[in-house]
Amino acid sequence: MKKTVGFVVRHLVLTLLVVIWLVPILWLLVTSFSAYKGINTAHFFPEQWSLDNYKVLFLQPDSVVQYGAWFKNTLLIAIFTCIVSTSFVLMVSYAMSCLRFKGRKGLMSFGIILNMFPGVLSMIAVYFVMKSLGLTNSHLGMIIVYSAGSGLGYLITKGFMDTISTSLREAAWLEGASEATIFFKIIIPLSQPIIVYTIINSFLVPWGDFVLAKLMLNSGIATDWTIAIGLFNMLGKSLINKYFSIFCAGGVIVSIPISALFVLMQKFYVEGVTGGSVKG
Amino acid sequence: MKNKKKFSGNYFKEFGTAVAKGDIGVKLSLLVMGAGYIARKQIINGLIMIALEAVFIITCVFYAAPNLAKFGTLGTVQFEQVFDPLTMTSKVNDYDNSFLILLNSIISLFIIVAFILIYIGNIKAVYRLQVQKEAGKHINTFREDIRAMFNEKFHITLLSLPCIGIILMNIIPILVLIAVAFTNYDQQHMPPSALFTWVGWKNFKQLFTNSTTLTFGYSFGKILIWTLEWAVLSTLTTFIGGILMAQFINNKKTKLPKMWRTLFMVAIAVPQFVTLLLVRNFFADSGIVNTICSNIGLTDFLKSIGLVGANLTYIPFLTNPTWAKVMIVIINIWVGVPYQMLIATGVLMNIPVDQLESARIDGANSFQIFWKITMPYVLFITGPSLITDFVRNINNFNVIYLLTQDVYVTSDQLLANSNAKEVDLLVTWLFRLTNEYYNYKIASVIGIIVFIICAGFTLITFTQTIKGSREEDFR
Amino acid sequence: METPETRRGGASSADNSTAATDNSAATDNTAAADNSAATDTAAADTTADNSAASSDDPVANLIAATTDTVKLTIWASEEDQTLTTQLLEDFKAAYPDVTFDITLGSESESTAKDTILTDVEAAADVFAFADDQINELVQAGALQPVAATYTYDVAGANVAGSVEAATVNGTLYAYPMTADNGYFMFYDASVFSEEDVKSLDKMVEVAEAAGKKIAMDVSNGWYIYAFFQGAGYELTLNDDGSNNCTWNAAGATDVAQAIMDLYGTNVMVDMSDEEMATAIAEGTVAAAVNGTWRAETASDAWGENYAATKLPTFNVAGKDCQMSSYSGYKLIGVNPYSANIGWSMLLAEFLTNEASQTARFEARGLGPANVAAASSDAVQADPAIAALAAQAAYATPQRVGGNFWAPAETLGQILADGSAGSDLQSVLDTAVEGIMAPIE
Repeated sequence: MKKTVGFVVRHLVLTLLVVIWLVPILWLLVTSFSAYKGINTAHFFPEQWSLDNYKVLFLQPDSVVQYGAWFKNTLLIAIFTCIVSTSFVLMVSYAMSCLRFKGRKGLMSFGIILNMFPGVLSMIAVYFVMKSLGLTNSHLGMIIVYSAGSGLGYLITKGFMDTISTSLREAAWLEGASEATIFFKIIIPLSQPIIVYTIINSFLVPWGDFVLAKLMLNSGIATDWTIAIGLFNMLGKSLINKYFSIFCAGGVIVSIPISALFVLMQKFYVEGVTGGSVKG
Repeated sequence: MKNKKKFSGNYFKEFGTAVAKGDIGVKLSLLVMGAGYIARKQIINGLIMIALEAVFIITCVFYAAPNLAKFGTLGTVQFEQVFDPLTMTSKVNDYDNSFLILLNSIISLFIIVAFILIYIGNIKAVYRLQVQKEAGKHINTFREDIRAMFNEKFHITLLSLPCIGIILMNIIPILVLIAVAFTNYDQQHMPPSALFTWVGWKNFKQLFTNSTTLTFGYSFGKILIWTLEWAVLSTLTTFIGGILMAQFINNKKTKLPKMWRTLFMVAIAVPQFVTLLLVRNFFADSGIVNTICSNIGLTDFLKSIGLVGANLTYIPFLTNPTWAKVMIVIINIWVGVPYQMLIATGVLMNIPVDQLESARIDGANSFQIFWKITMPYVLFITGPSLITDFVRNINNFNVIYLLTQDVYVTSDQLLANSNAKEVDLLVTWLFRLTNEYYNYKIASVIGIIVFIICAGFTLITFTQTIKGSREEDFR
Repeated sequence: METPETRRGGASSADNSTAATDNSAATDNTAAADNSAATDTAAADTTADNSAASSDDPVANLIAATTDTVKLTIWASEEDQTLTTQLLEDFKAAYPDVTFDITLGSESESTAKDTILTDVEAAADVFAFADDQINELVQAGALQPVAATYTYDVAGANVAGSVEAATVNGTLYAYPMTADNGYFMFYDASVFSEEDVKSLDKMVEVAEAAGKKIAMDVSNGWYIYAFFQGAGYELTLNDDGSNNCTWNAAGATDVAQAIMDLYGTNVMVDMSDEEMATAIAEGTVAAAVNGTWRAETASDAWGENYAATKLPTFNVAGKDCQMSSYSGYKLIGVNPYSANIGWSMLLAEFLTNEASQTARFEARGLGPANVAAASSDAVQADPAIAALAAQAAYATPQRVGGNFWAPAETLGQILADGSAGSDLQSVLDTAVEGIMAPIE
């Protein structure tokens, strides 16, 4: 008897928590099907349902909504950012974790401290550096901005590599493998979980950043934007009452690739992050 | 510190020896950098060095020198333009742009320093070749040099690209902004139309003094305190919440743990800026939550116990200082706990089972086990990342900005007088100062202080990880 | 982004779908009218010492001197995109001998300043902005003075107020585009009679009886100005960009008290612009102080009972004072860093000439600044524009420095939510201290 009560209470608590966590998401979902374009503040569920918002997103782009173009831009930037960032992080991590050279510890401390500087502030200088290279308002510029400094985020990956046994590398050494071979043939396959973790994290950056993107893509041409700028723009003063439910539909669509990624990679993600954080 | 001195001493001593004892090839390298290599028949290396030197000299003459010449004043020629109404064109003078002078000077300095390092390294390298040759040892061919880059010098190959990226995107911008803290770069002095110049420590003094008309010092104190409160609260709540939730779901008595976990994950699958902007409208003064609360009588109840001002017909979730601070922390729990749960799940799965078993045999109840065994273990594993989270929260721009921007109006007049708000973190404040008031000078000062605080916290925790021999222990 | 200038979101929400049909009719004559105008006024407007040039007609000179494709970028608000695209086509048609490559970007008039000031050189050649930003734009050197006009007389053709709003220290810096960016009172005629809306205190009484609310965003410097200016307290701009403000002078506490009393009734409510739109649509708010950009929301919600008028009077220590307001205009500016100054100026003129302003009214209901366009029957019949005209007598152009907004916003906030306490004099003193903070 006591056991069943405990069982029911436990699952009731869980259900309650899930409800709390999902209510705003549910609101996002139902509002995305609302026929009313503004914020419905009187009713939780829309009074009239409609698919119009999704139609606007994909079939009838107007001057405010260029969702297809944004999605393409963001995806492209995300893929390349992901490739460059992940390579940089792995390169730095391997050098810091497995190689021994003069000034290594100094470089490591320096990197960690450098990472502490609030990026929001140096943004304007980044903008002018990119402008003098002629890379503002270009997607190549965005990729560089997102990925160039990624080497600083080596800490967790390095922590993971630290746990890989040195004996493996020594054995390879004895067989005459070069450091490059060890890096590609031994360390990378063994670091799979942390690579997935890095990939997910770097892939997500362009989908969520609007401050830097808004500064760098400042030509005002909507088709050049990323999803984050576009959606953020819809909630501007003069647009929110006409575009709120479209914003919700846009939010729902963005979550699809990201959830898919999470679900597929969930196992690796957990292993990666915990393996890495063993050493911080 | 001592080590460093010794290091730099050696560094220059080696250079001295190289110059003194070098043969004609080495000495010629002082002038033409590739000479030493060519003397040893490393033609390609030599040509690369000569090309490098040529590029450097050209850069110096056409880029570094003109900019560095103006570095002391940051420019003197103001933008001027004459419009000719007849041809409908305008003539612009050859004006100085203070910001570009600053930026280019710093880049130039970087190039010069980098060149000097390469220059010294080059002399040493060719001297080493000379020594090798004299000792009758084998001298690498170009191909062998390349091969070395993938072996004993692999770290150079690995680090050079990421380092260039970091210098370009992190170090140079940071140096520029540290420099800006010592200038009068603000809305009155905005390039390209106006010039700015050096003012020394004036901005720092302004931040730390309260005059009757400038309340930056007052605001700085208030915001710093809230920033630290926020960082502690948000880090601890999400951390503990994540562990508890993971523990709860992983418990054997819970059916379908995977399903529950996935349900919570849905909340993080939606990008953060979408959820935050959504939640802001969800809890708006005339938003849906307020409608529901007033329908079920919660608003009136809160009014009767004094939690909501008598003047209000709604619950000021994100518009009253106290309510907003509490709500921001709660919303952050909502956003952050699923992540922490994910991490904690991984940690808990690896918990040594034998310890748990023996505790259970000793008669400990599950509560005791949690506090005596699980928590210490989890803390041990995730301790360092807790500090990273703490620092990240000090700089947590998104949560605060997206939840309060355009919505929150401060009711503290002194804060208002320096464009700050009760809920601001140092970073959101400095963002507003730059983005809306173009007060780059004060924002840079604040940025430097945030940097010092964060760097302090990080150094305390990480020096051990880096310095200590822990790296090797776990292998 | 949060400064009050932008809070009011000086843009209207008009229905773009009607734009296409209305335009085609309006713009046919634009092109024709414009070509002839181009030659007429040019000679008159340029100064006398033009004998040195090969031809007396600068526009013809420019066309002759232009051999390459003219690349221009222009920023217009999101709502203006359809209309502007149409006008750009007409512009190109007006100069058939020149090849244009014009890129249209979107940038809200209310936030143009933020984007432009970050990097003036990267800003569009021609851009629309709200007149409250003109001081900061001029100071940052982001506006090309209108040193000469070519296709029509900018200063003469537009209403005096709009020209004044586009002028800084005696120099005309921009081309007036609309004269509808100020605020007035919308109300539901089924709740209030024409007599009621003359006094705010009466309105509060009526609304209370009807169970409705009156909305005004008093926690916003732009709107709170209506009370203090109305009661005779001053706010002016000094040459260095700082403010001069007498809101803490003797008797000003009565104004503060009046605001507190009005909002203390819970009938007057302090709502942001977007919240107001929702509240009007849902029927909780029966009267609102707002601008033409809310006309559509209000007329949709109230139907036949939709009405608009000048701002009412309010009671300060027993005396009725007429509420003042800021008159607001939208302007078009030319970027001095533009590579094609001449064409940018011609484009700015084209987008603000009589035909374009008429088209803008027909497509989006925006009140023209052009005297001729504004005198048409259709414009006169628009209730919102009529209300704005009635309020014009009590409105002043917006001349205020950046330090005004944050302190004024907070002043409104604490007066409205009742947290100002009893020592109103010190509250006002602190606010004025912030407003008058020196610029260094």
